[in-house]
Amino acid sequence: MIEVESLYFKYPLANDYVLKDINLKIGLGEVVGIMGGNGSGKTTLIKHFNGLLKPTKGFVRIFGKDTREESVAYFSKKVGLVFQNPGHQIFSDTVWNEIAFALKNFGFEEEIINKRVKWALEFFNLTQYKDMSPLLLSGGEKKRLCLASVLAWNPDFIILDEPTVGQDFLQKEKLIEIIKMLITQNKTVIVVSHDVEFIWLLQPRLILISNGTIVKDGDCKSIFKDNSILEKCGITKPQLVELYDELYPLIEQPPVDVIEAYSMILKLLRGLK
Amino acid sequence: MFWLAEGLVYRRQESIIHSLDPRVKLIISFSLFILSLFSSTIFEFIILLSAIFLLGVLSKVLRRMIKTITFSLTFVIMIFVINLLVGYDLIFSIVISLRFIAIISSSSIFFLTSSPDELDLVMRSLHLPYDLIFAFVTAVRFVPVILLDAIQIIDSQRSRGLEIEKGNIFKRIRNYIPILIPLIVQSIIRSEELAEAMESRAYGFSKKRTSYYTLHFKMKDYLILCLHLMLVVLFILLVYFLHL
Repeated sequence: MIEVESLYFKYPLANDYVLKDINLKIGLGEVVGIMGGNGSGKTTLIKHFNGLLKPTKGFVRIFGKDTREESVAYFSKKVGLVFQNPGHQIFSDTVWNEIAFALKNFGFEEEIINKRVKWALEFFNLTQYKDMSPLLLSGGEKKRLCLASVLAWNPDFIILDEPTVGQDFLQKEKLIEIIKMLITQNKTVIVVSHDVEFIWLLQPRLILISNGTIVKDGDCKSIFKDNSILEKCGITKPQLVELYDELYPLIEQPPVDVIEAYSMILKLLRGLK
Repeated sequence: MFWLAEGLVYRRQESIIHSLDPRVKLIISFSLFILSLFSSTIFEFIILLSAIFLLGVLSKVLRRMIKTITFSLTFVIMIFVINLLVGYDLIFSIVISLRFIAIISSSSIFFLTSSPDELDLVMRSLHLPYDLIFAFVTAVRFVPVILLDAIQIIDSQRSRGLEIEKGNIFKRIRNYIPILIPLIVQSIIRSEELAEAMESRAYGFSKKRTSYYTLHFKMKDYLILCLHLMLVVLFILLVYFLHL
Protein backbone atom coordinates (compact mmCIF):
# COMPACT_ATOMS: atom_id res chain seq x y z
CA MET A 1 0.00 0.00 0.00
CA ILE A 2 1.40 3.38 -0.99
CA GLU A 3 -0.03 6.33 0.89
CA VAL A 4 0.80 9.91 -0.04
CA GLU A 5 -0.39 12.54 2.36
CA SER A 6 -0.30 16.28 1.51
CA LEU A 7 3.05 15.87 -0.20
CA TYR A 8 4.96 19.02 -1.14
CA PHE A 9 8.33 18.77 -2.80
CA LYS A 10 10.96 21.18 -4.04
CA TYR A 11 14.57 20.61 -4.98
CA PRO A 12 17.11 22.09 -2.53
CA LEU A 13 17.77 25.80 -3.17
CA ALA A 14 14.95 25.95 -5.76
CA ASN A 15 12.21 28.52 -5.29
CA ASP A 16 9.11 26.76 -6.51
CA TYR A 17 7.50 23.55 -5.43
CA VAL A 18 7.57 20.86 -8.11
CA LEU A 19 4.80 18.93 -6.34
CA LYS A 20 2.02 20.63 -4.43
CA ASP A 21 -0.46 19.04 -2.04
CA ILE A 22 -0.53 15.52 -3.48
CA ASN A 23 -2.88 13.09 -1.76
CA LEU A 24 -3.05 9.51 -2.97
CA LYS A 25 -3.72 5.97 -1.89
CA ILE A 26 -2.70 3.10 -4.10
CA GLY A 27 -3.57 -0.42 -2.96
CA LEU A 28 -2.56 -3.86 -4.19
CA GLY A 29 -4.01 -5.33 -7.39
CA GLU A 30 -4.56 -1.99 -9.12
CA VAL A 31 -3.51 -0.69 -12.52
CA VAL A 32 -2.78 3.01 -12.26
CA GLY A 33 -1.95 5.32 -15.14
CA ILE A 34 -0.24 8.64 -14.49
CA MET A 35 -0.45 11.20 -17.28
CA GLY A 36 0.45 14.84 -17.67
CA GLY A 37 2.41 17.21 -19.86
CA ASN A 38 6.19 17.52 -19.94
CA GLY A 39 7.58 18.89 -16.69
CA SER A 40 4.31 18.40 -14.84
CA GLY A 41 6.01 16.39 -12.09
CA LYS A 42 5.16 12.78 -13.01
CA THR A 43 8.69 11.45 -12.71
CA THR A 44 9.30 13.47 -9.55
CA LEU A 45 6.19 11.89 -8.06
CA ILE A 46 7.15 8.29 -8.85
CA LYS A 47 10.63 8.85 -7.43
CA HIS A 48 8.88 9.37 -4.09
CA PHE A 49 7.35 5.91 -4.26
CA ASN A 50 10.61 4.13 -3.41
CA GLY A 51 12.23 6.87 -1.38
CA LEU A 52 14.66 8.17 -4.02
CA LEU A 53 13.23 11.59 -3.19
CA LYS A 54 11.97 12.48 0.26
CA PRO A 55 9.07 14.90 0.72
CA THR A 56 9.85 18.50 1.66
CA LYS A 57 6.52 18.57 3.53
CA GLY A 58 3.96 15.83 4.11
CA PHE A 59 4.36 12.07 4.10
CA VAL A 60 4.86 9.14 1.79
CA ARG A 61 4.25 5.80 3.47
CA ILE A 62 4.91 2.42 1.94
CA PHE A 63 3.17 -0.43 3.76
CA GLY A 64 2.81 1.98 6.66
CA LYS A 65 6.48 2.96 6.82
CA ASP A 66 7.58 6.56 6.27
CA THR A 67 10.08 6.80 3.39
CA ARG A 68 12.33 8.99 5.53
CA GLU A 69 12.88 6.15 8.00
CA GLU A 70 14.53 3.54 5.78
CA SER A 71 16.97 3.28 2.87
CA VAL A 72 16.04 3.32 -0.81
CA ALA A 73 17.13 -0.33 -1.01
CA TYR A 74 14.64 -1.29 1.71
CA PHE A 75 11.69 0.23 -0.18
CA SER A 76 12.93 -0.86 -3.60
CA LYS A 77 12.52 -4.47 -2.56
CA LYS A 78 8.78 -3.82 -2.43
CA VAL A 79 8.53 -1.14 -5.10
CA GLY A 80 10.32 -1.84 -8.37
CA LEU A 81 10.99 1.17 -10.55
CA VAL A 82 11.78 0.74 -14.25
CA PHE A 83 13.22 3.93 -15.72
CA GLN A 84 12.63 5.23 -19.19
CA ASN A 85 16.13 4.92 -20.62
CA PRO A 86 17.71 1.44 -20.47
CA GLY A 87 21.07 3.12 -21.14
CA HIS A 88 20.93 4.51 -17.62
CA GLN A 89 21.09 1.12 -15.95
CA ILE A 90 22.75 -1.47 -18.20
CA PHE A 91 26.34 -2.09 -17.17
CA SER A 92 27.00 -5.81 -16.73
CA ASP A 93 29.11 -8.04 -18.95
CA THR A 94 26.28 -10.50 -19.61
CA VAL A 95 22.50 -10.39 -19.72
CA TRP A 96 22.43 -12.96 -16.92
CA ASN A 97 24.50 -10.78 -14.59
CA GLU A 98 22.44 -7.73 -15.43
CA ILE A 99 19.33 -9.45 -14.09
CA ALA A 100 21.18 -10.97 -11.14
CA PHE A 101 22.63 -7.58 -10.06
CA ALA A 102 19.63 -6.41 -8.07
CA LEU A 103 19.03 -9.87 -6.60
CA LYS A 104 22.60 -9.93 -5.29
CA ASN A 105 22.18 -6.43 -3.85
CA PHE A 106 19.09 -7.54 -1.97
CA GLY A 107 21.04 -10.47 -0.56
CA PHE A 108 19.05 -13.38 -1.99
CA GLU A 109 20.61 -16.82 -1.80
CA GLU A 110 22.53 -18.21 -4.77
CA GLU A 111 19.93 -20.89 -5.46
CA ILE A 112 17.04 -18.43 -5.47
CA ILE A 113 19.00 -16.00 -7.66
CA ASN A 114 19.57 -18.73 -10.27
CA LYS A 115 15.92 -19.70 -10.21
CA ARG A 116 14.64 -16.14 -10.49
CA VAL A 117 17.04 -15.12 -13.27
CA LYS A 118 16.14 -18.21 -15.26
CA TRP A 119 12.45 -17.47 -14.85
CA ALA A 120 12.90 -13.81 -15.91
CA LEU A 121 14.95 -14.77 -18.98
CA GLU A 122 12.34 -17.26 -20.10
CA PHE A 123 9.42 -14.99 -19.37
CA PHE A 124 10.85 -12.18 -21.49
CA ASN A 125 12.20 -14.39 -24.29
CA LEU A 126 15.80 -13.48 -23.53
CA THR A 127 17.20 -16.94 -22.77
CA GLN A 128 19.16 -17.18 -26.02
CA TYR A 129 21.02 -13.97 -25.11
CA LYS A 130 21.96 -14.94 -21.56
CA ASP A 131 25.73 -14.98 -22.16
CA MET A 132 25.76 -11.98 -24.50
CA SER A 133 26.68 -8.44 -23.55
CA PRO A 134 23.47 -6.53 -22.86
CA LEU A 135 24.89 -3.55 -24.75
CA LEU A 136 24.61 -5.51 -27.99
CA LEU A 137 20.85 -6.03 -27.67
CA SER A 138 18.39 -4.01 -29.76
CA GLY A 139 16.46 -1.12 -28.23
CA GLY A 140 13.33 -3.17 -27.62
CA GLU A 141 15.28 -6.05 -26.11
CA LYS A 142 17.12 -3.68 -23.77
CA LYS A 143 13.79 -2.34 -22.60
CA ARG A 144 12.57 -5.90 -21.97
CA LEU A 145 15.78 -6.67 -20.12
CA CYS A 146 15.22 -3.70 -17.78
CA LEU A 147 11.71 -4.92 -17.05
CA ALA A 148 13.03 -8.45 -16.52
CA SER A 149 15.73 -7.23 -14.13
CA VAL A 150 13.07 -5.57 -11.96
CA LEU A 151 10.41 -8.30 -12.10
CA ALA A 152 13.10 -10.82 -11.14
CA TRP A 153 12.98 -9.84 -7.48
CA ASN A 154 9.18 -10.00 -7.46
CA PRO A 155 8.25 -6.58 -6.02
CA ASP A 156 4.65 -5.87 -4.99
CA PHE A 157 4.52 -2.59 -6.85
CA ILE A 158 5.92 -2.19 -10.36
CA ILE A 159 6.34 1.33 -11.65
CA LEU A 160 7.00 1.77 -15.37
CA ASP A 161 8.23 5.13 -16.64
CA GLU A 162 7.32 5.53 -20.33
CA PRO A 163 7.40 1.80 -21.10
CA THR A 164 6.18 2.15 -24.69
CA VAL A 165 8.79 4.58 -26.02
CA GLY A 166 10.63 2.98 -28.94
CA GLN A 167 8.54 -0.20 -28.84
CA ASP A 168 6.71 -1.66 -31.81
CA PHE A 169 3.04 -2.50 -31.56
CA LEU A 170 3.65 -6.20 -30.95
CA GLN A 171 5.78 -5.37 -27.90
CA LYS A 172 3.12 -3.00 -26.62
CA GLU A 173 0.49 -5.72 -26.88
CA LYS A 174 2.79 -8.10 -25.06
CA LEU A 175 3.41 -5.51 -22.36
CA ILE A 176 -0.34 -5.16 -21.85
CA GLU A 177 -0.60 -8.93 -21.46
CA ILE A 178 2.22 -8.93 -18.92
CA ILE A 179 0.63 -6.10 -16.93
CA LYS A 180 -2.74 -7.86 -16.90
CA MET A 181 -1.08 -11.07 -15.74
CA LEU A 182 0.70 -9.22 -12.92
CA ILE A 183 -2.62 -7.83 -11.75
CA THR A 184 -4.03 -11.33 -11.42
CA GLN A 185 -1.15 -12.05 -9.02
CA ASN A 186 -2.35 -9.16 -6.85
CA LYS A 187 0.54 -6.89 -7.91
CA THR A 188 0.06 -3.21 -8.59
CA VAL A 189 1.36 -1.70 -11.81
CA ILE A 190 1.78 2.05 -12.10
CA VAL A 191 2.38 3.28 -15.64
CA VAL A 192 3.64 6.76 -16.46
CA SER A 193 3.04 7.40 -20.14
CA HIS A 194 2.26 9.87 -22.88
CA ASP A 195 0.84 7.11 -25.03
CA VAL A 196 -2.95 7.58 -24.85
CA GLU A 197 -3.70 4.52 -26.99
CA PHE A 198 -1.65 2.32 -24.69
CA ILE A 199 -3.29 3.76 -21.58
CA TRP A 200 -6.72 3.27 -23.15
CA LEU A 201 -6.04 -0.41 -23.82
CA LEU A 202 -5.02 -0.84 -20.18
CA GLN A 203 -8.16 0.88 -18.83
CA PRO A 204 -6.45 1.89 -15.58
CA ARG A 205 -7.40 4.15 -12.72
CA LEU A 206 -6.10 7.37 -14.22
CA ILE A 207 -4.31 10.17 -12.39
CA LEU A 208 -3.84 13.42 -14.30
CA ILE A 209 -1.11 15.77 -13.15
CA SER A 210 -0.61 19.34 -14.24
CA ASN A 211 1.85 21.84 -12.72
CA GLY A 212 2.63 19.55 -9.82
CA THR A 213 -0.92 19.03 -8.61
CA ILE A 214 -3.38 16.22 -9.20
CA VAL A 215 -6.07 17.55 -11.49
CA LYS A 216 -8.15 14.40 -11.60
CA ASP A 217 -7.97 10.94 -10.11
CA GLY A 218 -10.57 8.52 -11.35
CA ASP A 219 -11.89 6.06 -13.83
CA CYS A 220 -10.16 6.10 -17.22
CA LYS A 221 -13.44 6.08 -19.20
CA SER A 222 -15.02 9.04 -17.47
CA ILE A 223 -11.83 11.13 -17.66
CA PHE A 224 -11.35 10.57 -21.38
CA LYS A 225 -14.93 11.71 -21.98
CA ASP A 226 -14.26 15.03 -20.21
CA ASN A 227 -13.01 17.48 -22.84
CA SER A 228 -12.22 20.39 -20.50
CA ILE A 229 -9.88 18.36 -18.28
CA LEU A 230 -8.08 16.78 -21.22
CA GLU A 231 -7.50 20.21 -22.71
CA LYS A 232 -6.17 21.54 -19.41
CA CYS A 233 -3.57 18.75 -19.27
CA GLY A 234 -2.78 18.86 -22.97
CA ILE A 235 -3.84 15.27 -23.62
CA THR A 236 -5.44 14.07 -26.85
CA LYS A 237 -8.19 11.48 -27.01
CA PRO A 238 -7.63 7.86 -27.96
CA GLN A 239 -9.07 7.01 -31.37
CA LEU A 240 -11.73 4.75 -29.91
CA VAL A 241 -13.03 7.60 -27.75
CA GLU A 242 -13.14 9.81 -30.82
CA LEU A 243 -15.16 7.13 -32.54
CA TYR A 244 -17.52 7.16 -29.57
CA ASP A 245 -17.83 10.96 -29.84
CA GLU A 246 -18.85 10.59 -33.46
CA LEU A 247 -21.39 7.88 -32.77
CA TYR A 248 -22.82 9.32 -29.56
CA PRO A 249 -25.66 8.87 -28.57
CA LEU A 250 -25.96 5.75 -30.70
CA ILE A 251 -23.55 3.93 -28.38
CA GLU A 252 -23.54 4.56 -24.61
CA GLN A 253 -19.93 3.72 -23.75
CA PRO A 254 -16.64 4.12 -25.65
CA PRO A 255 -15.38 0.69 -26.75
CA VAL A 256 -12.36 -0.68 -24.90
CA ASP A 257 -10.73 -2.26 -27.94
CA VAL A 258 -11.27 -2.75 -31.67
CA ILE A 259 -13.13 -6.01 -31.19
CA GLU A 260 -15.66 -4.36 -28.91
CA ALA A 261 -15.98 -1.44 -31.34
CA TYR A 262 -16.65 -3.90 -34.12
CA SER A 263 -19.39 -5.69 -32.24
CA MET A 264 -20.95 -2.36 -31.22
CA ILE A 265 -21.08 -1.15 -34.81
CA LEU A 266 -22.39 -4.50 -36.00
CA LYS A 267 -25.19 -4.19 -33.46
CA LEU A 268 -25.93 -0.67 -34.70
CA LEU A 269 -26.09 -1.79 -38.32
CA ARG A 270 -28.42 -4.65 -37.42
CA GLY A 271 -30.63 -2.14 -35.61
CA LEU A 272 -30.73 0.06 -38.72
CA LYS A 273 -31.97 -2.83 -40.84
CA MET B 1 21.74 16.45 -6.69
CA PHE B 2 19.85 18.28 -9.42
CA TRP B 3 20.42 21.68 -7.94
CA LEU B 4 24.20 21.28 -8.04
CA ALA B 5 24.13 21.32 -11.82
CA GLU B 6 22.66 24.80 -11.77
CA GLY B 7 25.80 26.42 -10.40
CA LEU B 8 27.79 25.29 -13.42
CA VAL B 9 25.47 26.25 -16.22
CA TYR B 10 25.30 29.42 -18.27
CA ARG B 11 21.91 31.07 -18.40
CA ARG B 12 20.82 33.93 -20.64
CA GLN B 13 20.48 37.02 -18.48
CA GLU B 14 20.69 40.81 -18.75
CA SER B 15 23.38 42.64 -16.81
CA ILE B 16 26.29 45.03 -17.31
CA ILE B 17 28.77 42.19 -17.17
CA HIS B 18 26.82 39.90 -19.50
CA SER B 19 26.68 42.57 -22.19
CA LEU B 20 30.48 43.07 -22.19
CA ASP B 21 32.72 41.76 -24.92
CA PRO B 22 33.64 38.19 -23.91
CA ARG B 23 37.33 39.04 -24.27
CA VAL B 24 36.94 41.64 -21.53
CA LYS B 25 35.17 39.10 -19.35
CA LEU B 26 37.95 36.62 -19.99
CA ILE B 27 40.62 39.19 -19.03
CA ILE B 28 38.77 40.12 -15.83
CA SER B 29 38.23 36.50 -14.89
CA PHE B 30 41.74 35.41 -15.79
CA SER B 31 43.51 38.29 -14.02
CA LEU B 32 41.57 37.57 -10.84
CA PHE B 33 42.48 33.91 -11.27
CA ILE B 34 46.19 34.75 -11.55
CA LEU B 35 46.02 37.12 -8.58
CA SER B 36 44.41 34.37 -6.48
CA LEU B 37 47.30 32.08 -7.39
CA PHE B 38 49.88 34.56 -6.13
CA SER B 39 48.12 36.00 -3.11
CA SER B 40 49.31 34.67 0.19
CA THR B 41 47.71 36.57 3.09
CA ILE B 42 44.19 36.54 4.43
CA PHE B 43 43.97 40.30 3.89
CA GLU B 44 44.67 39.94 0.15
CA PHE B 45 42.03 37.26 -0.15
CA ILE B 46 39.47 39.44 1.59
CA ILE B 47 40.04 42.12 -1.06
CA LEU B 48 40.07 39.60 -3.94
CA LEU B 49 37.01 37.72 -2.81
CA SER B 50 35.05 40.91 -2.20
CA ALA B 51 35.98 42.05 -5.71
CA ILE B 52 34.84 38.69 -7.11
CA PHE B 53 31.58 38.78 -5.17
CA LEU B 54 31.01 42.39 -6.24
CA LEU B 55 31.30 41.21 -9.83
CA GLY B 56 28.88 38.42 -8.96
CA VAL B 57 26.37 40.98 -7.68
CA LEU B 58 26.85 43.22 -10.74
CA SER B 59 26.28 40.31 -13.10
CA LYS B 60 23.36 38.92 -11.01
CA VAL B 61 24.95 35.47 -10.78
CA LEU B 62 25.98 35.67 -7.11
CA ARG B 63 23.48 33.01 -6.07
CA ARG B 64 24.75 30.53 -8.61
CA MET B 65 28.35 31.45 -7.86
CA ILE B 66 27.68 30.55 -4.24
CA LYS B 67 26.17 27.26 -5.40
CA THR B 68 29.39 26.50 -7.27
CA ILE B 69 31.32 27.21 -4.09
CA THR B 70 28.98 25.00 -2.05
CA PHE B 71 29.61 22.30 -4.62
CA SER B 72 33.35 22.56 -4.03
CA LEU B 73 33.08 22.85 -0.26
CA THR B 74 33.95 19.19 0.27
CA PHE B 75 37.28 19.78 -1.47
CA VAL B 76 37.87 22.99 0.49
CA ILE B 77 37.34 21.16 3.76
CA MET B 78 39.56 18.31 2.57
CA ILE B 79 42.34 20.74 1.61
CA PHE B 80 42.02 22.50 4.95
CA VAL B 81 42.13 19.33 7.02
CA ILE B 82 44.95 17.71 5.06
CA ASN B 83 47.08 20.85 5.38
CA LEU B 84 46.50 20.91 9.12
CA LEU B 85 47.28 17.21 9.44
CA VAL B 86 50.49 17.51 7.43
CA GLY B 87 51.64 20.06 9.95
CA TYR B 88 51.08 23.49 8.43
CA ASP B 89 49.73 26.13 10.79
CA LEU B 90 46.14 27.35 10.91
CA ILE B 91 46.72 30.61 8.99
CA PHE B 92 48.41 28.80 6.11
CA SER B 93 45.63 26.20 5.90
CA ILE B 94 43.01 28.97 5.83
CA VAL B 95 44.96 30.80 3.09
CA ILE B 96 45.17 27.65 0.96
CA SER B 97 41.44 27.00 1.37
CA LEU B 98 40.61 30.62 0.52
CA ARG B 99 42.85 30.38 -2.52
CA PHE B 100 40.88 27.38 -3.75
CA ILE B 101 37.59 29.25 -3.28
CA ALA B 102 39.01 32.33 -5.05
CA ILE B 103 40.27 30.28 -7.99
CA ILE B 104 36.92 28.57 -8.44
CA SER B 105 34.79 31.67 -8.05
CA SER B 106 37.01 33.84 -10.26
CA SER B 107 36.90 31.36 -13.12
CA SER B 108 33.16 30.90 -12.63
CA ILE B 109 32.68 34.62 -13.44
CA PHE B 110 33.58 33.95 -17.05
CA PHE B 111 31.66 30.69 -17.39
CA LEU B 112 28.51 32.00 -15.69
CA THR B 113 28.32 35.17 -17.77
CA SER B 114 29.48 33.96 -21.19
CA SER B 115 27.55 31.59 -23.41
CA PRO B 116 29.38 28.68 -25.07
CA ASP B 117 29.03 30.65 -28.32
CA GLU B 118 30.95 33.55 -26.82
CA LEU B 119 33.61 31.14 -25.63
CA ASP B 120 33.81 29.89 -29.20
CA LEU B 121 34.29 33.45 -30.50
CA VAL B 122 36.96 34.27 -27.94
CA MET B 123 38.95 31.16 -28.79
CA ARG B 124 38.63 31.94 -32.48
CA SER B 125 39.97 35.43 -31.92
CA LEU B 126 43.02 33.74 -30.42
CA HIS B 127 43.47 31.89 -33.78
CA LEU B 128 43.30 28.40 -32.33
CA PRO B 129 42.55 25.52 -34.73
CA TYR B 130 38.79 25.10 -35.11
CA ASP B 131 38.68 21.38 -34.32
CA LEU B 132 40.26 22.10 -30.97
CA ILE B 133 37.86 24.96 -30.28
CA PHE B 134 34.92 22.79 -31.21
CA ALA B 135 36.02 19.95 -28.94
CA PHE B 136 36.54 22.33 -26.02
CA VAL B 137 33.27 24.21 -26.46
CA THR B 138 31.32 20.97 -26.83
CA ALA B 139 32.91 19.62 -23.67
CA VAL B 140 31.82 22.72 -21.75
CA ARG B 141 28.37 22.57 -23.25
CA PHE B 142 27.92 18.93 -22.30
CA VAL B 143 28.89 19.21 -18.64
CA PRO B 144 25.31 19.81 -17.45
CA VAL B 145 23.95 17.11 -19.75
CA ILE B 146 26.36 14.52 -18.41
CA LEU B 147 25.64 15.62 -14.86
CA LEU B 148 21.93 15.04 -15.42
CA ASP B 149 22.76 11.65 -16.92
CA ALA B 150 24.76 10.78 -13.82
CA ILE B 151 21.83 11.71 -11.58
CA GLN B 152 19.50 9.49 -13.61
CA ILE B 153 21.95 6.60 -13.48
CA ILE B 154 22.43 6.89 -9.73
CA ASP B 155 18.64 6.91 -9.23
CA SER B 156 18.30 3.94 -11.52
CA GLN B 157 20.89 1.81 -9.71
CA ARG B 158 19.71 2.82 -6.26
CA SER B 159 16.26 1.57 -7.30
CA ARG B 160 17.92 -1.77 -7.97
CA GLY B 161 19.22 -1.97 -4.44
CA LEU B 162 22.69 -0.47 -4.91
CA GLU B 163 23.88 1.22 -1.73
CA ILE B 164 26.79 3.42 -2.68
CA GLU B 165 27.75 4.38 0.86
CA LYS B 166 27.83 0.83 2.16
CA GLY B 167 30.86 -1.33 2.88
CA ASN B 168 34.56 -0.72 3.37
CA ILE B 169 36.66 1.55 1.17
CA PHE B 170 37.29 -1.09 -1.54
CA LYS B 171 33.64 -2.08 -1.66
CA ARG B 172 32.70 1.58 -1.95
CA ILE B 173 34.98 2.09 -4.92
CA ARG B 174 33.52 -1.03 -6.55
CA ASN B 175 30.06 0.43 -5.92
CA TYR B 176 30.80 3.11 -8.50
CA ILE B 177 31.24 0.60 -11.33
CA PRO B 178 27.49 0.28 -12.04
CA ILE B 179 27.37 4.09 -12.26
CA LEU B 180 30.51 4.78 -14.26
CA ILE B 181 29.97 2.17 -16.98
CA PRO B 182 26.54 3.41 -18.10
CA LEU B 183 27.81 6.99 -17.86
CA ILE B 184 30.77 6.28 -20.15
CA VAL B 185 28.67 4.19 -22.55
CA GLN B 186 26.02 6.91 -22.72
CA SER B 187 28.66 9.56 -23.40
CA ILE B 188 30.21 7.51 -26.20
CA ILE B 189 26.81 6.87 -27.76
CA ARG B 190 25.98 10.55 -27.49
CA SER B 191 29.23 11.66 -29.10
CA GLU B 192 28.68 9.21 -31.94
CA GLU B 193 25.16 10.50 -32.49
CA LEU B 194 26.42 14.05 -32.37
CA ALA B 195 29.11 13.32 -34.94
CA GLU B 196 26.63 11.66 -37.28
CA ALA B 197 24.10 14.46 -36.90
CA MET B 198 26.81 17.04 -37.62
CA GLU B 199 28.19 15.21 -40.63
CA SER B 200 24.73 14.90 -42.12
CA ARG B 201 24.52 18.68 -41.82
CA ALA B 202 27.82 19.11 -43.72
CA TYR B 203 30.20 19.84 -40.85
CA GLY B 204 33.67 20.56 -42.21
CA PHE B 205 32.44 21.22 -45.75
CA SER B 206 33.67 24.80 -46.00
CA LYS B 207 37.33 25.26 -45.18
CA LYS B 208 37.06 28.82 -43.93
CA ARG B 209 34.43 29.29 -41.27
CA THR B 210 32.57 32.55 -40.97
CA SER B 211 30.48 33.66 -38.04
CA TYR B 212 27.16 35.43 -37.74
CA TYR B 213 28.38 37.35 -34.72
CA THR B 214 31.75 39.06 -34.67
CA LEU B 215 33.43 40.63 -31.70
CA HIS B 216 33.81 44.40 -31.47
CA PHE B 217 35.05 46.46 -28.57
CA LYS B 218 32.59 49.17 -27.60
CA MET B 219 33.12 52.28 -25.51
CA LYS B 220 31.76 50.44 -22.47
CA ASP B 221 34.27 47.61 -22.96
CA TYR B 222 37.23 50.00 -23.10
CA LEU B 223 36.02 51.84 -20.01
CA ILE B 224 35.51 48.76 -17.90
CA LEU B 225 38.73 47.15 -19.08
CA CYS B 226 40.72 50.29 -18.17
CA LEU B 227 39.01 50.53 -14.80
CA HIS B 228 39.69 46.89 -14.10
CA LEU B 229 43.36 47.07 -15.13
CA MET B 230 43.84 50.16 -12.99
CA LEU B 231 42.41 48.36 -9.98
CA VAL B 232 44.61 45.34 -10.63
CA VAL B 233 47.71 47.52 -10.86
CA LEU B 234 46.68 49.35 -7.71
CA PHE B 235 46.25 46.04 -5.92
CA ILE B 236 49.66 44.79 -7.05
CA LEU B 237 51.31 48.04 -6.04
CA LEU B 238 49.69 48.12 -2.63
CA VAL B 239 50.30 44.51 -1.82
CA TYR B 240 53.61 43.62 -3.39
CA PHE B 241 55.49 46.88 -3.33
CA LEU B 242 54.11 48.78 -0.37
CA HIS B 243 53.55 45.55 1.61
CA LEU B 244 50.28 46.74 3.04
